[in-house]
Amino acid sequence: MSVISARGIVKEYPYGGDSVRALRGVDLEVGPGELVAVVGPSGCGKSSLLNVLAGIDPPTEGRVELLGRDLGALGEGERSRLRLREVGFIFQRFHLLSVLTAAENVEFPMAEAGVPKGERRARARELLEYVGLGHRVGHRPPHLSGGEQQRVAIARALANRPKLVFADEPTGELDRRTGDEIIALFERLNADGTTLVIVTHDTSVAGRTRRVVEMADGVVVRDGRAGG
Amino acid sequence: MASSLRALFRRRSRTLLALAGIGISAALLLDMTMLASGLTESFGELLGAKGYALRVTPKGILPFDSDATIRDAAATARRIASVPGVAGVAPALGAQLYPVTGDSAREPVFATGIDPRGQMLYRVLRGREPGPGEVVVSEPMARDDRLRPGSVVSLASGLDVSLGRPRGTRRYVVSGVAEFLYDYAGEHSVALPLGEVQRAIGRDNQVSLFGVSAAEGVDPGALAARIGRVVPEVSVYSTAELLRETSRRLSYFRQMATILGSVALTVTALLVATIITIGVRERFGEIATLRAIGIARERILLGVVAEGLTLALLGCALGLPLGLWMARRLDRILLSFPGLPSKVTFFTFDPGRVAFALAVVVAVGAVAGCVPGLGAVRSPLGQALREEAE
Repeated sequence: MSVISARGIVKEYPYGGDSVRALRGVDLEVGPGELVAVVGPSGCGKSSLLNVLAGIDPPTEGRVELLGRDLGALGEGERSRLRLREVGFIFQRFHLLSVLTAAENVEFPMAEAGVPKGERRARARELLEYVGLGHRVGHRPPHLSGGEQQRVAIARALANRPKLVFADEPTGELDRRTGDEIIALFERLNADGTTLVIVTHDTSVAGRTRRVVEMADGVVVRDGRAGG
Repeated sequence: MASSLRALFRRRSRTLLALAGIGISAALLLDMTMLASGLTESFGELLGAKGYALRVTPKGILPFDSDATIRDAAATARRIASVPGVAGVAPALGAQLYPVTGDSAREPVFATGIDPRGQMLYRVLRGREPGPGEVVVSEPMARDDRLRPGSVVSLASGLDVSLGRPRGTRRYVVSGVAEFLYDYAGEHSVALPLGEVQRAIGRDNQVSLFGVSAAEGVDPGALAARIGRVVPEVSVYSTAELLRETSRRLSYFRQMATILGSVALTVTALLVATIITIGVRERFGEIATLRAIGIARERILLGVVAEGLTLALLGCALGLPLGLWMARRLDRILLSFPGLPSKVTFFTFDPGRVAFALAVVVAVGAVAGCVPGLGAVRSPLGQALREEAE
């Protein structure tokens, strides 16, 4: 069974009195355990595709199945719960809650999912150790470097043991070396069984994934192994 | 929720400044609430202080509103006393008498003729009620003229305008010093047996009004109606009617209080909405991210509303003592206007009304927080994420 199954996805955004077509009929299948990079120039529709696949934006046309659920048949609340419990998100700008500590940021989605306090504390510590920040659990985001903040964001994305993680330009705000460390972390995560879809314009990221989906002008122009 | 409250104090000085503004607005609203009914309520307490629930006056005249008098006072008092439910009748005749020192008269004092067995105007602090040839003086007069029980005071009934000399001067022995309930601050007043005042001003068997006390369990309104039927040539006012009249005359105070109170509420709403809107705007990315990772919109909205509630609650906590302090200061200023009884107060602390006013501030805070919160959680999520990434 596919983790993601998208058929004939069209996405239009209203613009003035007119509309802009960001996706023009995208088909995509992502299987369990895959590590997929979606690449392409700025404005080609990568982030729009991620938003549609994750149920953040509804498609104008087409059908998306996420983890076997037809997103078109789900209400906003159900899509939200699906993202909370079964999908992880990592964003370019981390967007951690600056008033919470690293551990509290990781605990946040678990609290929303109803995980008991003791369990979420232990799991937050475990996840922060997994991303190499076991010594920074009590630090707040303003006191962490960009790379450390992105690691906290990764730990937060993994909080509810998601089957699938979406990352939107996860190395966009990081220097080369830190970006490489984050990609290494993704590789380890994928090796541990998590499916990852990474939207990036960073060719070095794409070079380290097993599958690259290349987009241009709202359509997939190539879908295959990196360098293939 | 806790993270929202922490976010509120992330910009500490901005939040504290907003809190100061909300506190001042809450204090103003509190004062206007206390002012709106304060004088009427306080006057009501004063009217009932000596237990006389009714005032009987010349037809169509409010108590001490003119020099008009009730004639044939002794017979009228007997007819009133005969009405079932009347427990006591206290006559009062107002006049001006002139304290005399040597050959010259000083500023006139307010003199009241009363029945020492039952009167409604003062409480004796030292000494006793006046007998024939005796007088009770107000505390300020006793203090300023160095009078005490046993002292002698000369009072003239009038002035000879051409000679500038007092006329009808009589000497009275001070029998007591009293707290006059309806006097303004520092006023010199005296009370004498009714007959002494009637003789002094030539108004035999006349009174300005009667105070009537009702027997226990008797409804003052019904008693007023019964007296009105038995003695149709007078007007009978219950305390409630007098308060309604007072309230009507003071309606400008209520209008002012309503306008200023509304302004205070509007300022509170604007301050809360502004500070929350700025905070939500600053955390636009955070909020969009929270929605993207699956945090329920209701939870996020609740957090934002909690910020508005917290601001309003803290503003009320600041506003309450500030409002009470301002009320004391304003009361002192307003009561310094001449002619106002010093025993009344413009600002009455009614816990129910104050709680209601503060609850309104808190509700306004919640609504004001709700508006930017709804804007943040209702904006299309994909668009919010795109805007944040740009």
